[in-house]
Amino acid sequence: MRAMYLANYFVAGCIASSFLGWIASLHPTSFRAIVFLGAAAFVIWVLCWLLDYSVSNLLKITVSSLQAFLLAMLAAIAIGAGVFLCS
Amino acid sequence: MQLKMFVLSGAAVALWLVPLTALDKRIGWHKSMQGVTLCAAIACAVTAGNIARKQAEQNEIEEIKTRAITADVVDEIATSAYISQQQRQQEAEQILNPREHLERSLVLTYGEDERSKPIAQNQLAEPEQNGSENGESERIERIHQLQAKGWGKAKIILEIWGVTKGGSPKYKAAKAEYKSLWPPPPPPFVFDRG
Repeated sequence: MRAMYLANYFVAGCIASSFLGWIASLHPTSFRAIVFLGAAAFVIWVLCWLLDYSVSNLLKITVSSLQAFLLAMLAAIAIGAGVFLCS
Repeated sequence: MQLKMFVLSGAAVALWLVPLTALDKRIGWHKSMQGVTLCAAIACAVTAGNIARKQAEQNEIEEIKTRAITADVVDEIATSAYISQQQRQQEAEQILNPREHLERSLVLTYGEDERSKPIAQNQLAEPEQNGSENGESERIERIHQLQAKGWGKAKIILEIWGVTKGGSPKYKAAKAEYKSLWPPPPPPFVFDRG
């Protein structure tokens, strides 16, 4: 059951990234906004990798859980964006 | 609940993939439909995730309960086994020492009731008269036990014969009987160089 809820949240992340792609396709301004949002998210993602021990203490989770979450987030964004671009 | 979760998961995947592949992005209402279905798909996936999380938490609680019940049962069995072992040990001690057993049972039966005292004394006296043959062996056994506990001679005489140390004839008789029942150990060997 734990795997099921993790899989469901992962699918939700994939769909959310597809939805962001859909928003980006609506208008050039929204595209720029989504690009900016993506760049900011990437910077935060890299910072989380660099400061993983501090962030894990802040979020009160283990370092391995944080790293798994970051990897899952990257995979979800990649899958969601890939599905949107290939469709 | 699990069925709902599976339906929501399937619906989320379907609402995500089907409109993106089937509908044309260049047509206005198709594009808007894609946006709506993506929103619905996110809602379905999050709801299914929440249901699965609740189920997982409930399963964990059930597992903890099961573990606690099992531990309780094991503890109960261990306690009962320990108690029964103690009871067997006590019974064995009582069988080995019938005089004490009789005294204890009399005390338990009659307590401190004054009217019962003569009856108790009679009952105590009876085995002493009848079992004079067993008296010696019982006393030897009792001396064994008390010596094993580290008791001294005077204390043992006081315990068994009920006579305090001194020059009284009763004590002398008791001491003689003790010596006859319990011969002292031989003197240590001294090496004579001459």
